Amino acid sequence: MSFALNVAGTFLIVLGAVVFALAGVGLLRLPDLYSRISAITTASGLGLALILLGVLLHEPSTLNAAKALLAIVVNLATAAVGGHALGRAGYLTGARLSDRTRYDHLSQ
Amino acid sequence: MSIVLDIALVVVALTLLPASYRMITGPNDSDRAVSADLVFFGFIGVVALLGLRMETDIVLDVVLVATIVGFLATLSIARLVTRGYR
Repeated sequence: MSFALNVAGTFLIVLGAVVFALAGVGLLRLPDLYSRISAITTASGLGLALILLGVLLHEPSTLNAAKALLAIVVNLATAAVGGHALGRAGYLTGARLSDRTRYDHLSQ
Repeated sequence: MSIVLDIALVVVALTLLPASYRMITGPNDSDRAVSADLVFFGFIGVVALLGLRMETDIVLDVVLVATIVGFLATLSIARLVTRGYR
């Protein structure tokens, strides 16, 4: 049982690390601010949630579960709000859109 | 099993490098704010994995507080980028 939990936890942690690595690559390669925000909000919400869930599976106890699950819920709820606030701030200060953007409903 | 966790720790820590690069060369302030966000959450991930490696679960308190406070930091930086305009 403990071994199975360890394997599942390691799998989740590796998955979270992959999400973080993709966010790093996206930060370097994506063309404009808004797509970069998309990459990073994914990492800070999903990637951190996966890593915390993996850590919880490695050290299972009631107190750890309460702390980790609360952190995951708070993180998933606030990462999207933070990303939206950053995107709005970028649009208000005139961050350039990528040339491949077709529609800009906010400019109308 | 442990070496996989070490590799994951190194990968998450290396993610801070492109974020720092973007923070230095970002075209405008919003890019820098976004990379600050990634640096913060990547560091939380590093702390969680480091606590797993050191076999202590006291770092979960740090992670819990950091997720709540980091949200406020992100909103404050977004407010700073627009110079207070909402």
